[in-house]
Amino acid sequence: MKFVVCVKQVASLDEEFELLEGGGVDSDFVEWELNEWDTFSLEAALALRESGEGEGGEVVAVTVGEQEAEEALLACLARGADRAVRVWDESLQGADPLAVARVLAAVVERESPDLVFCGVQSSDAVTGSTGTALAGYLDMARVAVVTALSYDAPSSTLTVDRELESGLVEVVRIGLPALLTIQTGINEPRYATLRAIKQAREKPLVTYGLEDVGLDAGAVGVAAGAHTIELQTPERGAGAQLLDGSPAEVAARIVEIVQERMSG
Amino acid sequence: MARDPKYDVLFEQVQIGPKTLKNRFYQVPHCIGAGSEKPGMQAYHRGIKAEGGWAALCTEYCSIHPESDDTSRLSARIWDEGDVRNLAAMCDRLHEFGALAGIELWYGGPHAPCMETRHNPRGPSQIASDYELNIFPRYMDADDIATVHQMYVDAAVRAREAGFDIVYVYGAHAYLPFQFLSPYYNRRTDEYGGSFENRARFWREALYKVREAVGDDCAIASRFAVDHLMGPVSIEAQKDGARFVEYADDLVDLWDFTVGDIAEWGQNAGPSRFFEENHEKPYSGTIKPGNHTNKPVVGVGRVTNPDTMVAIVRSGQFDLIGAARPSISDPFLPKKIEEGRFDDIRECIGCNQCISRWEIGGPPLVCTQNATAGEEYRRGWHPEKFHPAANREKSVLVVGAGPAGMECAMVLGKRQMEAVHLVEAEREIGGCVNWISLLGHSDGRPNLHRGTARGLGEWKRIVNYRQIQLDKLRNVEIHTGSRLSAEDVRNYGAEIVIVATGCHYATDGLNAATHAPIPGADTSLDWQMTPDEVALGSKEVGRRVLVLENEGYFMGASIAQKLAGEGREVTLVTQAKEIAGYMEYTLEAPMLHRDLHRLHVDMHVYTMIERIEPGVCHAYNVWDPEHKHEFEVDSVVLCTARLSNQELYREVKADKGRLDQEGIEAVYVIGDASAPRMIVDSIFDGHRLAREIDSPHPEMPLPFIRERRLWGEASNEDYLRQLANTADVALV
Repeated sequence: MKFVVCVKQVASLDEEFELLEGGGVDSDFVEWELNEWDTFSLEAALALRESGEGEGGEVVAVTVGEQEAEEALLACLARGADRAVRVWDESLQGADPLAVARVLAAVVERESPDLVFCGVQSSDAVTGSTGTALAGYLDMARVAVVTALSYDAPSSTLTVDRELESGLVEVVRIGLPALLTIQTGINEPRYATLRAIKQAREKPLVTYGLEDVGLDAGAVGVAAGAHTIELQTPERGAGAQLLDGSPAEVAARIVEIVQERMSG
Repeated sequence: MARDPKYDVLFEQVQIGPKTLKNRFYQVPHCIGAGSEKPGMQAYHRGIKAEGGWAALCTEYCSIHPESDDTSRLSARIWDEGDVRNLAAMCDRLHEFGALAGIELWYGGPHAPCMETRHNPRGPSQIASDYELNIFPRYMDADDIATVHQMYVDAAVRAREAGFDIVYVYGAHAYLPFQFLSPYYNRRTDEYGGSFENRARFWREALYKVREAVGDDCAIASRFAVDHLMGPVSIEAQKDGARFVEYADDLVDLWDFTVGDIAEWGQNAGPSRFFEENHEKPYSGTIKPGNHTNKPVVGVGRVTNPDTMVAIVRSGQFDLIGAARPSISDPFLPKKIEEGRFDDIRECIGCNQCISRWEIGGPPLVCTQNATAGEEYRRGWHPEKFHPAANREKSVLVVGAGPAGMECAMVLGKRQMEAVHLVEAEREIGGCVNWISLLGHSDGRPNLHRGTARGLGEWKRIVNYRQIQLDKLRNVEIHTGSRLSAEDVRNYGAEIVIVATGCHYATDGLNAATHAPIPGADTSLDWQMTPDEVALGSKEVGRRVLVLENEGYFMGASIAQKLAGEGREVTLVTQAKEIAGYMEYTLEAPMLHRDLHRLHVDMHVYTMIERIEPGVCHAYNVWDPEHKHEFEVDSVVLCTARLSNQELYREVKADKGRLDQEGIEAVYVIGDASAPRMIVDSIFDGHRLAREIDSPHPEMPLPFIRERRLWGEASNEDYLRQLANTADVALV
């Protein structure tokens, strides 16, 4: 079996950060890392490959991003992905989920995997739409927010749990090929040993431009729908009271306030 | 980051007599094991704190004359020109950083046993010390009083010569001036005893004379226990305590308030297991708000929280934030507050290991949180600066994230090793601290004296600080829930492997008393257990429990406290002369004993268990093994030997061929995995290896600077003249 895992290098903000004029965060306050959801979807693919059912399969990690995004792909290769693909074109700067999904679709079509894994969402943009959009472009069956999965080889079907509101779980059976968006907590992502991190650099990692995957910048631009205008921090609300002092003093003051409000 | 205006008040200047403190952070006098005889350690330990932003740093208690000699404990001394020269090194170092230097002039009376000098201390009344064994003072007549006053003056003049800015007349901890003031010590009937004015006279005169001598050049301070915590037989804060402050207020430029005495000074240096932050507030904190003084006041209470500090100043409790332990744990506390780096503050955990070494009699101080404490000069370690390792391209695997492993990985990370992996078998990092910090509680009721057994929760700061620091280090990865086998380690791809896998309790009663297991001891049985099983609640404990305590530190007693607090009948047995002997050194013992007594724990010292059978433990007296005793019990807790978890280290190291094949250049073992020890020493071990990871033989500690007298180099000229007529040995 063949698995494509779509991943993203996400921005992680420091506790304190400064915004740049005209949108964006000062890069001094940003660190880049593999999106947390993608660590779970990668693990799902690796585990399925290693299970009796999926053994001998290939896991391909794919991302759309600049040179720095190779760190995310190297993290996937170190954990056990077999090879990696990065696609980039300057026209993708600031691309929205639809544009990214359009590019990913071109790669997935060329790879023609049995299963495509995405994270439910990315921790920085939190749109939760790339995976679903990708399934749309591929015209592929998909299940969103997956919290458990098992594969039945004889029938070539997946049985999948989906997380619903109020703690409900929907159990879905789906044929291949298919696309799953994976929720955190579905498994325990493995980590890479020092040796695996070193060896990851020896694994195939190819970089494509848009033309390499049969796209032109115009086509991607047509897919794009939204552009970021500005980043803002919410205005500080009124009515909050900050208490100073030792923990005991603060606790005593809280008791006083609660008693005042209760009696009032 | 700029300072939060909320903390501006902590950085205001304060005038004390002729001197100006640049901010309100003040390191009160505290022992470090340097004195005047390790001038390098003295200068550099205090100097690091000056660099870290403290406005003033004081010596430890500093003897004014050979007849105030505390040997074997280690004080500073300012007896002669040699001491002036050695202490001047500290003053110079502090002045480089714009900090003031304080000296605590000390005369101990009967609390100074004079074991080195073989002089005889003088005291207000001839009553033996309640602290020392069998030390009686000589009754001071009017001439003696004048002589001792002159000792203070001579010492103050020498202190000024050395460069000190603040000169103390030290009367806290029940030393001589307090002995005159307190009717508990002072039974005199002359003009120095009886009425308040008479009892206060000695101290007032000492202050007056020292002020006359050096007061134009130096700030005059006095350290005073405003409450002896003994009730009406001695000084109480709201009576003679406040009254003395008013009475001597005109003679001081700074008050340094404490509580208690030296015999139980854990009431002042309160351990966290019984006392919370700012615990002296009900005593020393009432003097300034009660308008008994017009002078600046410094006080302590293991304050590490910047918000508490602001509250202390704003409420008028103290003008200065005094610190001993918090300044040892984090010499850069002021700077970190100033720079808004709160998550970098290394908070004191109140374990009192620092104090324990002074109590033992002179080793250098240690600190659980700050492994560099005491090592600033002799090893050249800086708490905040880490030079890049020469071999930083080597990848490192640290196995085990307990105290030693966390510290080692953190320091390797700060030394910019390019890739460090810290791999822990459990879900959380922290190792033994995670369950030890659950102990120390009993039933939550007040202790018999003051305080409550509030537990060892603050010890969790060991983990919290390191977790936060490790998370910031991009070159260190932490992986938890991953138990590595020897094969995993070999295949890991690290060039340096550091094994920090901790230790475990003996399951068969193996112990230091008999050097053998105890027949019948077997913690695989459901009614016998090790301390960690009790702490984690993994076994049902019966109504009647025997705790065997062979370790001599906190474990057995803490288990007894917990189980008795939960309502069980607890028998606590030790082969030693006392329960939890080391807790005498950490000053936790008095409060511990009050708690154990209150909980009706049945304690047997000099007692050992020879055989365990279902329902009964057979014991004997260690001095008379034929003297037997049987304890009927439902459960037995064995706090006996600890054994290193060394299998991984041995297995990895055994196959040299494989090590070469896998590119593993070195395998080290640290902390309890090397040999079980106290947490403070495990952290030191991890730190030491990381500091020296690029030395020729990292497994062997580098030598440190020994401040000793070199034969043939030092001169005896100072002494030869004075000894000319008495020496029968030809001295050179």
